Amino acid sequence: MKEKSDPWLVALLLLPGCGLIVLLVGAVVVMAVVQSVGYFNFAGESGFTLSHWKDQMSSHRLWRSFGYSLKIATLSSVLSVLAAYPLALWFRKPFKGSAFISSLLKAPLLVHGLVAAFLYVNFISFNGFLNQLLMFIGLIHDPIRMQNDERGIGVIILQLWKQMPFALLLLTGAVQAIGDDILLAAQDLGAPAFARFRKVIAPLTLKSLQAALVIIFIGAAGDYSFQVIAGPVNVNSITQYMYIIQNESGGWNQAAVVAIMLMAFSLVGSLALAAIAQAVVKRGQA
Amino acid sequence: MKRASLDRILVIALFSVCLVWLILPLALAVMWSMVDPDYVWSYPDLFPKVLSFKRWGLLWETTTLKQSMANSYLLAISAAFTTLLLSLPTSYALGRMHFRGKAVVQTLILLPMVIPGFVTAIFFSSLLFSLGIYSKFLGILIGHSVLLLPYALRILSVSFAQVRQDLIDAARDMGASRFTVFRVVFFPAIKPGILASLIIVFIYSIEEFALSFIIGSPEFTTVPTILYSYLGYQFIRPNAAVVSLILVVPNIFLMLVLERVLKVANPATIVGKG
Repeated sequence: MKEKSDPWLVALLLLPGCGLIVLLVGAVVVMAVVQSVGYFNFAGESGFTLSHWKDQMSSHRLWRSFGYSLKIATLSSVLSVLAAYPLALWFRKPFKGSAFISSLLKAPLLVHGLVAAFLYVNFISFNGFLNQLLMFIGLIHDPIRMQNDERGIGVIILQLWKQMPFALLLLTGAVQAIGDDILLAAQDLGAPAFARFRKVIAPLTLKSLQAALVIIFIGAAGDYSFQVIAGPVNVNSITQYMYIIQNESGGWNQAAVVAIMLMAFSLVGSLALAAIAQAVVKRGQA
Repeated sequence: MKRASLDRILVIALFSVCLVWLILPLALAVMWSMVDPDYVWSYPDLFPKVLSFKRWGLLWETTTLKQSMANSYLLAISAAFTTLLLSLPTSYALGRMHFRGKAVVQTLILLPMVIPGFVTAIFFSSLLFSLGIYSKFLGILIGHSVLLLPYALRILSVSFAQVRQDLIDAARDMGASRFTVFRVVFFPAIKPGILASLIIVFIYSIEEFALSFIIGSPEFTTVPTILYSYLGYQFIRPNAAVVSLILVVPNIFLMLVLERVLKVANPATIVGKG
């Protein structure tokens, strides 16, 4: 940490790590951009055109996918954070059994997304355990169709299952970093529990809250596997739509348009969510 | 009510939730993987009539599972070592050198984590196609090695930063060559970081789905892509249960090893696993 650094040596050392990342990610983004305006057309003539953009902008299916993905990503990130906050506050001070229950709650972090989807579908499917149990105890006479529900509730449950532990991890760290003296001072000044949360805890954990919202939103916005396995069949997520037009119709250039819009959507959506969280916390602080 | 009593009630309530939320689905997966093919598990049986490992044997003998596992593990080992070699110089610069734009570099290395996986996969495959690289193994290996670099860089740059300067100075004062300084001072200090980096890249490479699916399908299968084939259009529940356990159990074991290596309560705090 204390070495004099020759700029050329630094550049040389950064090349295999940072250089390769920038090269690959940059090449992927450039490829998507140039394909969206007609170049590298594997199925026809290549050349500059905005027709792919025009086609997609007028596609009802694309906008439906956007609306659906916006709903899933927003609800998944907000619900994950809302579920994680009280737990993080509860785990602030260790107590008997807290380490065990906290590890159990964070266990889904170690489970692959596809496996999570299998566990869920296996549980709620037409011939799954839940239907069998409900019939066994006589609550229903025939199995209920819960898989691939039209509103995407299954996808939100899966996102919550997989992402809530991540939000819990970030928020627990942030909440535990708040000194007892600050909270005791607020308590001594007569602030009730909710006021202490609004005026002390929420502002001090804002960065972690925003990080959790942003990361979960980006992950949920780009989801493919949960949607294909547990999501509704009458509407696509943006990623699923992009894959369908690239794979099934061979529309690389059209898929490139969707890819750019997906990247912009992830960036703008997650930043907007972070800004809203900041505004809400500031308002609560006032 | 006393705080301790309330905690106890909440622990019991939360454990009950975890039972339905986590333990029961996992137990069902284990049971489904062991449903004997000769005895169907259906209503009104709440649990299977006969349990056996016949399904595991059948899957091993009659499907591409063997090849998929070989592909996955070969890819993961290759990606782990390639990523380690690529990340060492950059981690050294990030951990031990001061230079202008360091914060920018630290942000840039996170790029693969913010681009949606399927966007990277589809347009990386398009790039490989344009460059005339048709080897599925090579394509996925390049993708995994570069896209998993952020994890290795993050772990190793912390390891390099923790090497004590007084030990380096002492070794140099005693006339040690650059190689000897690396061998006796740097290497022992960064060894846990190297191991942690190898393990985390190995796990992520085994689990990676988007690149393997887009570039590899249909000829080159890995464990996640074969699992997807049992979950997608045709839901073959016992097969999916077997492959799920093959995917999850070794990785959980490796994460526990990683936790010991990193000597932290939860490895996710360092590697952001999930």
